[in-house]
Amino acid sequence: MTTAPTAPAGPVTTTARPDRPARAPRQLRWLLRLHRPAVLAWTAFVLVAGAALLWLGGPLTDASAAAWKDYNACAFSERCSYDQDAIVRYKDVYTYTTSAVLVAPFLVAAWAGGSLTGRELESGTARLAWTQGVTPARWLAGRLALPAVLVAASTGLLVWLHRLAWTAGEGRIDTAKPWDDAATFYANGTVPVALALAGLCLGALEGLLLRRSLAALTTAAVVLGGLWATVHTALPHLWPTVTVVSSLRNGPSGAGIAVGEGVLTSGGDRLSAPCSSGMIPGCRTELADLGATGFYRDVHPVAHYWPLQLTASAVLLVVAALLALTAFRVLRLRTAGPAGKGGPA
Amino acid sequence: MSTTAPVRLPRTVLRLHRTALIVWGAFVAGLTGWLVWLNEVTVDAVRAAQARCSSTSWGCIDVIEFLDYSEPTGYVGALTCYSFLAVAAFTGGSLIGRELESGTARLAWTQGVTPARWLAAKLAVPALVLTAGGTALVLVFRWGWAANRDLMGDNWAFADVFVARGPATVAYALCALAVGALTALLLRRALPALAVSVAAMWLLNAVLERHRARLWPAETRTSPKPFELPYDVWRLEWGRTGTGHRATYHPASHFWPLHLVETGIVLAVAALATAAAFAVLRRRTA
Repeated sequence: MTTAPTAPAGPVTTTARPDRPARAPRQLRWLLRLHRPAVLAWTAFVLVAGAALLWLGGPLTDASAAAWKDYNACAFSERCSYDQDAIVRYKDVYTYTTSAVLVAPFLVAAWAGGSLTGRELESGTARLAWTQGVTPARWLAGRLALPAVLVAASTGLLVWLHRLAWTAGEGRIDTAKPWDDAATFYANGTVPVALALAGLCLGALEGLLLRRSLAALTTAAVVLGGLWATVHTALPHLWPTVTVVSSLRNGPSGAGIAVGEGVLTSGGDRLSAPCSSGMIPGCRTELADLGATGFYRDVHPVAHYWPLQLTASAVLLVVAALLALTAFRVLRLRTAGPAGKGGPA
Repeated sequence: MSTTAPVRLPRTVLRLHRTALIVWGAFVAGLTGWLVWLNEVTVDAVRAAQARCSSTSWGCIDVIEFLDYSEPTGYVGALTCYSFLAVAAFTGGSLIGRELESGTARLAWTQGVTPARWLAAKLAVPALVLTAGGTALVLVFRWGWAANRDLMGDNWAFADVFVARGPATVAYALCALAVGALTALLLRRALPALAVSVAAMWLLNAVLERHRARLWPAETRTSPKPFELPYDVWRLEWGRTGTGHRATYHPASHFWPLHLVETGIVLAVAALATAAAFAVLRRRTA
């Protein structure tokens, strides 16, 4: 009603066939209005986390780096003055912001399960919407598309800011987390974005399957945790490792995400290592008995960061697509029966 | 009819929330089983690896096996400590919020159950279940955490270990129950009440955790010469002063005073939230 007087001459062509094109934007507007508290809360979350990450990457990193410089300049001298609080503050804010980035996919999954589909099916407003000229498939598509764009954009922003903040401290802060620290590894890359999208599809599917808001909320969050644990376990095997061979004197070496280690024999076999260094007399004889020629370690060096991240993200996106497809399928089965019946309950 | 209602009310609460009851039972049983397994089975494998190391004179690369024991033990402690967040979500969302949103609470109040009695049953039954389960978890964790100290790298002052080793675990759960009920009565909608209760309890825990060291006077030691503190103290500040060395710390014997003060604060918040919940309910239904 309010749009009619202000509408310019342009939309005349759309009013000529008002059925389809007009519906999508209206549905999106409804979606935004219906979930206004969630949109506001999410915006606040992203803004606070983003601001904290900028603060972390800027002033906090500089203060902590300066404190470490002072501390290292002391070189164990009698008198030493450095800003211990700056170091502790950097560590605290780093931990909080990293947790916030990693918690974001779970918030998305919980919201999608509890609020996006489950609630409307429980209360029956979804069924009402389907009688108002919106087909169930279109209803679900609208409920997935816009949140997917918003979730991808905001989690993408958060991981990018996290990466900027982490990079700013690299090599300047002695206690900064290494790239292969599990929480840092994930928060610096694309996995949280893919995980959030998977959480969105998972929540929507659980809502359709369980048709109960709180049950879908809980299940979506728990299953997403299981999905992440699976990806975490599989991750080192998603990309070929590099084998670092080291001499018997030095023991196994090679920094990064280690997948396996042991000794190599002259015959080319890989055996588990009985001890860690040929420098120790007893160990030397034991290694000689095995016919060992050197130690090996299979690792992912830092160069494998993006291949690992992107492969894991791709796997998660495939999972998200499968979940979305299943959701559409479940919806079709549910709504295929005679109108008014809930289908297989 | 009205005389039988109060008798049946607790049973109704249990039946309505049987899924939550089963999940809680499985949680308590699962963590207990996990800890027993760690201390009866896993520990043998770690000890065997340790024996292999100590029987030889050279270095050992099997120290990583310690983590098989210490890491899961830490997880059990963290899950025990932070279980109150799930209690807050359940109370705000499912126990109270959902019934106020759907109107079934109002229906119950017309069936000879007064609102106050309804809320009392809604709070008392879960409180009993939570106290029983929480007590079991605390006792099991106290045993499991102390059983093989040499394999653990943590300290009694770690945030989650601190809570999981005493009645504060139960106090946080009861507080989450009361806060969840209060938010649900104020908001009267399940999902917002769920989110707000979890956020409020997380905040309360974060604040108390931050100021935990101040809940009991710390000890200070000064000496002109450098000194070592016992390994099991909670170090707060240490370093040089103008004339010598100085350390502020909580010795291990401060665990109980610190823990009980925090438990008292959390229980006081729980009592206030419960009183507020009944007051809100009375005003709403007056």
